[in-house]
Amino acid sequence: MLQMQKINKIYRTELVETHALREFNLTVKEGEFVTVTGPSGSGKTTFLNIAGLLEEISQGKYLLDGVDVVGLKDKELSRLRNEKIGFIFQSFNLIPDLNLFENVDVPLRYRGFNAKQRKRRIEEALEKVGLAARMKHLPAQLSGGQQQRVAIARALAGEPKFLLADEPTGNLDSLMARQVMELLKDINKQGTTIVMVTHDPALARCGQRNIQIVDGQVCDFSLYQNKEQNQNQFQQHPNEATTA
Amino acid sequence: MFKYYLHMAWKSLIATPVVTSLMLLAIALGIATCMGTLTIHHMMSMDPIPEKSQQLFAPQLKSYGNTVTSFGMNDGFSDQLTHQDAINLRHSKVAFRQTAMLKTGFAVQSDNADVAPKLKSARAADSDFFAMFNAPFAYGNTWDKKIDEQPVEVAVIGEKLNQELYGGGDNVGKNIFLNQKAYRIVGILKHWEPSPMFYDLTGGSFNRAEQIFIPFSLLPVHELPSWGSNSSWKNEDVYTYQDKLKSETHWIQYWVELTDVQQQQSYREYLSGYINEQKKIGRFNRDDATADLKNVIQWLTYNEVVSEDNSVLVGLSFLLLVVCLVNTIGLLLAKFLRRAPEVGVRRALGASKAQVFLQHLIEVGLLGFSGGLLGILLAQLGLWLLRSNYGSYEMLANMDMTMLLTAPVLAISTSIIAGLYPAWKICRTQPSIYLKSQ
Repeated sequence: MLQMQKINKIYRTELVETHALREFNLTVKEGEFVTVTGPSGSGKTTFLNIAGLLEEISQGKYLLDGVDVVGLKDKELSRLRNEKIGFIFQSFNLIPDLNLFENVDVPLRYRGFNAKQRKRRIEEALEKVGLAARMKHLPAQLSGGQQQRVAIARALAGEPKFLLADEPTGNLDSLMARQVMELLKDINKQGTTIVMVTHDPALARCGQRNIQIVDGQVCDFSLYQNKEQNQNQFQQHPNEATTA
Repeated sequence: MFKYYLHMAWKSLIATPVVTSLMLLAIALGIATCMGTLTIHHMMSMDPIPEKSQQLFAPQLKSYGNTVTSFGMNDGFSDQLTHQDAINLRHSKVAFRQTAMLKTGFAVQSDNADVAPKLKSARAADSDFFAMFNAPFAYGNTWDKKIDEQPVEVAVIGEKLNQELYGGGDNVGKNIFLNQKAYRIVGILKHWEPSPMFYDLTGGSFNRAEQIFIPFSLLPVHELPSWGSNSSWKNEDVYTYQDKLKSETHWIQYWVELTDVQQQQSYREYLSGYINEQKKIGRFNRDDATADLKNVIQWLTYNEVVSEDNSVLVGLSFLLLVVCLVNTIGLLLAKFLRRAPEVGVRRALGASKAQVFLQHLIEVGLLGFSGGLLGILLAQLGLWLLRSNYGSYEMLANMDMTMLLTAPVLAISTSIIAGLYPAWKICRTQPSIYLKSQ
């Protein structure tokens, strides 16, 4: 689904050059639920922006669903973003002047669906997140959890293959966070690939795989875990044998 | 998508009522000022008789004597003729149609003794006048051509006077009393208001057409006074009306209709011959005595119907529009940049830069259209005030369909030009900056 090879992202100012991502490699298979963790400033958000085609890379290769996105024009990137990627943000990012129906409608408008198709998709998406009855409400009339569910509905309405979530539960209390996570798991079970950035170790365990980004590079946590286990086994084995 | 962008534009405009009102007011003020001055300029520079303006000509004679160094307009031509020249030219058969004319006036009464007499201006002209200037008849017709030589008291009256004196309808054959003398009505015109009143610009360019027309041949019979301009280069004794008819006083307007280039050439040759003839008999004793022909458009330009002041005023009003638009640009920029987070979201959800640009331009276009409509209302109010306070603007301060259509087009196009930079700026928003911080 997502293949990043030797990606570098450098932010340049007149005085400073900041390497946000260095030789960044990551492959996410179709249908995977990958969580991304890492300390602040490690490059998680940069990774997410690049994965979501919101920022260009300085060097490297990025294939999204088999399409090489490097060098694509804005119009092509926007179309790809609209068709293949759904976004869920920490702060929901609903448009305050639009009601729920109109908010979910936004990506569908850019896709070029007709009114009938849009209506069906919007109703289905809001139904899925349990807010079909409130589609004429404005975001400000909803709780944080409900707003995030609308954001999820908006991300799902276009039936993207790939969902990018940036701290989706960061602004929610634990009960609502759990509900949102259950929703994401359900979505993943139905075949949507999810990459979720989080600070919360408990949420990081919800994915099938967790990667850590440190200093702009991927540290595959599972590899560390396996290495640690192997080292423990190696150290413990003689004693066990002795005991035996 | 246009409908969607329009819906989004409407939502955006009503979401910020104060800023929207300020921008609307700025655009409306600029448009109203421009449309007000443009309307007057447009009406002033309008071709009053487009179907014939290239065929109607005012002959001019540079006929003043050697005793003075200048006379008439800057080029030495007078804008009127002497009575004797007008009478001489009337004998020519070269022109397709021709008319000498004079603005005069009477105390006017109908045959109803209960109606008090009213002082009204009238025009003494030849029978060709109506056909030459496309004055349409509701009833009857012009007087017989013979009357141009053998005066008879007949009159053609306008629709307005017909309504005023007789309550409208066909009153051909009835008498109208001019200075207590009965004139038989032979024709009644439909509404006819050439603007500018090109055939006689001596008393102002935008006067209303007279409502009474009588034969020019009646001039010596009733010694009709001139209600227009009288000027002479010669110091001569003019004690009687007959003296005036023979004098070098320029007081008669004269027009000819020349249908093609050949006829125009023939008429020029005829005028040249006339000058030579007059030289021979001792008039027109200048070496540079000559004649000229000017068609309607040339005549309007020559008489500076559209004054330079008016053009300057139009220019100034456009400058004011620019000032208003610069203010609008500032407000638009502030409004659009405040909405950058929403644009970030739209970009993340699949909007291209071009789509964001277009959405914002449509918002500006809607603002311009609304400002244009408000501008038309303000301009109408201004023109109404002008008409109410200054009678001379009665014919000018009226927005015709061209002007009514120009206003929104001008408003939309100038607003879109003003909105280009703010829309371009916002479409270049880097979405990732706002998605995290919103």
